[in-house]
Amino acid sequence: MVLDLTMGMAVLALMGALATIAGCLEDLETDVGSQSNANSQVQLAPQMGFLHRIYNKAISGEPVSYGFSAVTGATVTTVLLNFRLYPLTAITIGAFIAAIIYGVFSTTAHAGRIASQSRFKQPLYMDMIRYTTPTIIAHNFIANFCLIAIAYLQFTMLGFPFPIPFLALIWGITVGCIGSAVGDVHYGGERQYQNREFGVGLNTALSGRIVRKGESGLRSSIDNVWFCAKFGGPATGIGFGLVVFLTFWPVIIFRGYTWNTMIAGFIIVVLMVLLNRLLEVNIKNTYGPYKEDKIEKEART
Amino acid sequence: MSDIKDVPPNTLTLFGIIGGLVGIYLSPYFPTAGALGAMCAVVWGADAVRRVAKYGLGTGVPSIGQLALGMGIIAAMFSLALTRSVTLAGPILALITASIIGLIIGWLAQNVIKMKIPVMIRGMTEIAAAGVLIILGYSATVAGNYVFAGIIPKVFDNGVILAIFWVGTLAMAHPFNACLGPDERQKRLLYLAVSTGAITMTLMGIAALMTLGVSGVYTIIVGIILWLISYKKFWDEVYKDVASVLGTGLLPKTEG
Amino acid sequence: MVSLLDPTMLTNIFLIAISGTLICIAVHFIPVGGAPAAMAQATGIGTGTVELAAGSGLVGLLTASHMYAGEPNAPVSLVLAAGAMGSMIMMASVGIACGIMYAYGVGVPFASAQVKRDPITGARQDLYVSKGTQGHGVPTVCFVSGLIGAALGGIGGALIYYVLVGIYTPLITTSAAAVAGVFTVAVFYVNSVIPSYGVAGTIEGFHDPKFRRVLPKDAVTSFVVSLLSGIIAVMIAGGMV
Repeated sequence: MVLDLTMGMAVLALMGALATIAGCLEDLETDVGSQSNANSQVQLAPQMGFLHRIYNKAISGEPVSYGFSAVTGATVTTVLLNFRLYPLTAITIGAFIAAIIYGVFSTTAHAGRIASQSRFKQPLYMDMIRYTTPTIIAHNFIANFCLIAIAYLQFTMLGFPFPIPFLALIWGITVGCIGSAVGDVHYGGERQYQNREFGVGLNTALSGRIVRKGESGLRSSIDNVWFCAKFGGPATGIGFGLVVFLTFWPVIIFRGYTWNTMIAGFIIVVLMVLLNRLLEVNIKNTYGPYKEDKIEKEART
Repeated sequence: MSDIKDVPPNTLTLFGIIGGLVGIYLSPYFPTAGALGAMCAVVWGADAVRRVAKYGLGTGVPSIGQLALGMGIIAAMFSLALTRSVTLAGPILALITASIIGLIIGWLAQNVIKMKIPVMIRGMTEIAAAGVLIILGYSATVAGNYVFAGIIPKVFDNGVILAIFWVGTLAMAHPFNACLGPDERQKRLLYLAVSTGAITMTLMGIAALMTLGVSGVYTIIVGIILWLISYKKFWDEVYKDVASVLGTGLLPKTEG
Repeated sequence: MVSLLDPTMLTNIFLIAISGTLICIAVHFIPVGGAPAAMAQATGIGTGTVELAAGSGLVGLLTASHMYAGEPNAPVSLVLAAGAMGSMIMMASVGIACGIMYAYGVGVPFASAQVKRDPITGARQDLYVSKGTQGHGVPTVCFVSGLIGAALGGIGGALIYYVLVGIYTPLITTSAAAVAGVFTVAVFYVNSVIPSYGVAGTIEGFHDPKFRRVLPKDAVTSFVVSLLSGIIAVMIAGGMV
């Protein structure tokens, strides 16, 4: 089904906006809960003698867990739509139930991982579970809502051949990928190691030696989301927004899938390669190398 | 690892296979039984994942669950489609097909990819077999039977199969992933497996409201009760195993 | 019963096996740094091999299926191009967002520790690797390699879907897309998990020495498993009538 240009652009803009919010909230949620790759440091810390007060949410990698919560919510939404509820109500309730289930999985992941580290004397802080879990649920709810709404729009307005849970699952996996590829770097590469010099990768020797003191008192997972909301979250949002927007932009503009659409898509890709190259050259010139070339050095001395 | 004796793998294998098959065969009369059978398979699968993933897979633990449930879907569809005239043979054929695919993948992983995991071949076979029982069990709860013509419109068309695929994967892989660490214990993991299986069951109950109506309500109620019990048991085990439980407070002093 | 020896069926089985192998090869092209990349400790995109391949490939599956639903008479080349386009745009967007994050969030230049000079641009790499790390960021060669991988994955997914929808549509009209889609996702996952065990977590792309070392054995494994899946998928059609 190909909509007329105005309506198509409207749906596309809405999907892009929803995707941006979903991406941002997805990343912030995984920073509150500390999930995915960056969590390996939280997991390692007690072993290095660095006991901490950070949530250790190891439901699974982000793509899997977001696929999980999106498909859960979408299934509930499908059931409710089948009972002729308004789409907005159905999506809201679906996202809510999915977020609650997600919260349950979070508590078991945290408690299970801490209990499996008992030889390092890592205590289980109950207050932390009590105030961090609702934050996780809240962030997850918004992300779910956006993902299911995108799936709903695609199913009803754009005529995708797959049912809503299918589409929601795919977008959940994709947003998880982007959150773990983009936002986690800000959390793992910068926030967890704020005490070291800015502008270097983490020396392997420092692994597990995370910062445990906060702006006030001991650092908690809520402090982490405050930091990541400044850059990691929005960047993830832009990443996911770009995926949803740019994938369907040529389709809407060129009215369906023709060779023109494909060429437009490939031109976008080529532009992005060039953009990445420009970025690479720019930062290499700005920051400069870490060490000098041996031959050049010898030639000078 | 610990002094407490684990439940031996063979006991869990028998529990998973017999429980799973009985549940699936009872599902036309009482759809909730399908999910109960699938839960037996989840417990079995979670233990099999534990035995394999203990060696380190090189990538996330859930990947093995996705492999298993991916094979499970393929094997389940194949077997149900092939046994349209003799529906009773479907689940057993599915179990055999999945085991064979699992065996082949396990053998290839061990001998071609050279993963150096001694229990890989057996583990992969068990995980694939558990995967197919999970797929069939939960599908039977939603569709009300285990025949191909019933499952396609009630589970595939509305996308519930994706929920079974994904939530089932997590139900099986989450217990080990959540309990990963040097002091991981089997008992805690098994309670968590019951808990994740029960959550999946509740979700399938919600989906069954759409396809079967009132029998979904029973599934939801049984699922929530089982979840409450196992979740409580899981926390009891956590309190027993953890170094210390603190309401709040500063970090304890560590040596060095 | 569909005859397995029928030439069209044999072609279909073979196409599914080829697509599975394409997905497996795609995983090797995608620059994935795993957990270390999230701490700017290794070159590549900081997520898991399975999921990045699946994430991009499934977006490709979405575009391919959307297109095929709208224009059922489209030539196969256009369906495959749609799949490749979706996947590549996904991978390029992730790469860009990731690059911005490494550049301005962590403040590290892009560098690979596997090669001294970037094979595409010729830019020096070793001087820009910070102490105690295996490189960081997504240099041009990794970016391009990722795009090749995404294209292969998208084509693989789209081809499986195209073949299966073609087989199932005459038998189960309305459910064909859903069944073929689910089957594609299943085959996709099986074929992206297998190479992940081969590469063991991290790979930088086609310039990584690991690429040549693990690709053949992973591809053989994937081919065998996909061939098996292909036979099964075609035999399912026999049970539908």
